[in-house]
Amino acid sequence: MRVLRTVGTALTLCAAAWLTAAAPAAADGTDGKDGKDTPTEAGTNFRTATEIEPGQKATAAASTGDYLYWAFPAAAGRIPKVEAELKLPDAASRHGGATWQLDVYDGLRRHQPCASGMPTRRAAQQDRSVTVSCTLRQVRSWSERWANDPLPGAYYVRLTVVDLPAQDLGLPIDAEIEASTGEAGGAHADGGDLTPLNPVLRAGTAPGTDSEPPDDTSSASPDDDKGGDVPHAVAEPEDGWGSGWWSDRWVWTVIGAALAALAGVGGYTLTRGPRHPGRPPIGTGSDI
Amino acid sequence: MIIKKRLATGALGLLTALACGLISPPAAMADEPAPDSPKVELVLDVSGSMRARDVDGDSRMAAAKQAFNEVLDATPEEVRLGIRTLGANYPGKDRKAGCLDSERLYPVGQVDRTEAKAAVATLRPTGWTPIGLALRGASKDLSGGDGTRRIVLITDGEDSCGLPDPCDVARELAAQGTHLVVDTLGLTLDRKVREQLSCIAEATGGTYTAIQHRDQLSSRIKQLVRRSADTPVQTPTPVRGAAECAKAPYLGSGLYSDRESFGEHRWYRMRVAPGQELRASASVAVDRTVDPDYGVLLRAVTPGGRELVRGSEAGSGRTDVISSGLRYPIADVDDDEDRTARTVCLELSQSFSAPASVKRTPGLPVEFAVDVVGNDDPPADLAAFGLGRGWVLLGVLTVGGLLVGLLWGWLARWRVTVWRSN
Repeated sequence: MRVLRTVGTALTLCAAAWLTAAAPAAADGTDGKDGKDTPTEAGTNFRTATEIEPGQKATAAASTGDYLYWAFPAAAGRIPKVEAELKLPDAASRHGGATWQLDVYDGLRRHQPCASGMPTRRAAQQDRSVTVSCTLRQVRSWSERWANDPLPGAYYVRLTVVDLPAQDLGLPIDAEIEASTGEAGGAHADGGDLTPLNPVLRAGTAPGTDSEPPDDTSSASPDDDKGGDVPHAVAEPEDGWGSGWWSDRWVWTVIGAALAALAGVGGYTLTRGPRHPGRPPIGTGSDI
Repeated sequence: MIIKKRLATGALGLLTALACGLISPPAAMADEPAPDSPKVELVLDVSGSMRARDVDGDSRMAAAKQAFNEVLDATPEEVRLGIRTLGANYPGKDRKAGCLDSERLYPVGQVDRTEAKAAVATLRPTGWTPIGLALRGASKDLSGGDGTRRIVLITDGEDSCGLPDPCDVARELAAQGTHLVVDTLGLTLDRKVREQLSCIAEATGGTYTAIQHRDQLSSRIKQLVRRSADTPVQTPTPVRGAAECAKAPYLGSGLYSDRESFGEHRWYRMRVAPGQELRASASVAVDRTVDPDYGVLLRAVTPGGRELVRGSEAGSGRTDVISSGLRYPIADVDDDEDRTARTVCLELSQSFSAPASVKRTPGLPVEFAVDVVGNDDPPADLAAFGLGRGWVLLGVLTVGGLLVGLLWGWLARWRVTVWRSN
């Protein structure tokens, strides 16, 4: 009996220790990347870019002149849009207008042009806030290697001031940013498949001697990436990186098939028409 | 009998406890921060000018002390924090002695809040402002370990010692490959201070903040310390690109850092097997004054010299970095063909230029992100599943169906006629 009790006590203590030890870890999780809390910090370069989810409003307190980085995922068939609002310091402490700019880079750190939106805007000295936005082209499922098309994966956003009076450097600002990914629609649904451009965040293996390549790291890496333990710039969206199998092209194609079938039957009937001038109406009796 | 039973009970309890200890989460045992935990050193200017009472009606020193107390309370557990002062001890007029006055006030490590606060409380505004010397000292204090290193410099005056130039010192420290970042906070809006502090920040990829209010000071330092804790520990591996492909180092997948001078070309090599895709991004950072127009070019070239693909970008105006990337897929081959990995050379060049007065060494910081991933075949049809869409499609299908129906009907009629006539 006593044996059981001792073991029971030990196990209870053990469980308690587990719970207390696990609690802070769980708490960390909720305000980390997995939680629904909105990020309140921005990164300072590509490597430290803060991950944001599409549709989530992220904020950051910073100084004028800082380069603020965020990253968000975009799947194929989407049209990413980024909008940022900056609250500027008091007009009294500023010495003139300043130009603010929003840049979007893809997972390969290639600058992406804005198809629409106002990525660069000049704020006059008396302005209290300034809004910049950028809408990219549609994310393609696949592209030629020479193309700069947006591809599924991470997108980096950089927000900064590009032109300002030197005296205004370092003054406090507040930034608010939101990324959204709209549907491009069936008209643009495309085929193809591609490993998403989601950069791996880990230190490279030390380069080998100049003459000999390191033990075949290249063949190992694709499998590593699938393991999921390698940190990436952004997490995969819920619906995956692809555009999914559904698009309204299915409806058009099926309707087309039905019309073709009807037209075929119609055409056939036309050719038979003159030889069989219709059956007598049912129920009018027989004249044989 | 009873003794035996007791022994058994004890042994069993011990076993359970042991098992419990073995399976308990590692966090429960971690009292000491890991060796790669981030390190931060706060460098505080305690020169005579800190007496000026212009931060919300209080002296700059009082504001700094209050901010330090708040920061010490809010420091995350995993951050190892240290404090260094400059100009705290020598009150005299001798420039030489004043410019050697930088002292480690609190060693970098897990913070004992009471001890650290007591040390900060003793500070009185005293001497000169040897910023360059203090930065070197701080870098030494932070040496060792693999974690991120950050210096937060709080000052109200420009370096009053001239040499070494703190901006050059910062660039030199950043070039040592220890991933040191210096964030600067200026307690005055003076032009020279601003220029010097923003130059130090730019040289290391840090930030510069002009402080005007007391709460702004403490919240900014807290933010910087917290940022240290949040920054991932995956720091790029230093690598040195060669002047030609044949001598270039082989890179695996991951992050690398290098330095490239103005007008220099650097080569690297990668191994890519058929059925894989090479992905490379390169960023060249701006850590000094450069001319307003610039560009970067990253090329993938065969060892024979044929260009495979290139990524390029150009820009103008204020920037922290210019970057570009490329991807190069190699189509999969049949089993009986040559499946050995091929060597792809990567050449990085940039078109930055700088005024003659700007120092050329060390080179501009370069960051590489390279990866080799699985390569999917190009799609057979660019439309999703080869499906069609639109009114033209419907029209074509309908007319096509009609024609086929007519043709089939006539064929059937013709066959019947032929059969009857026979």
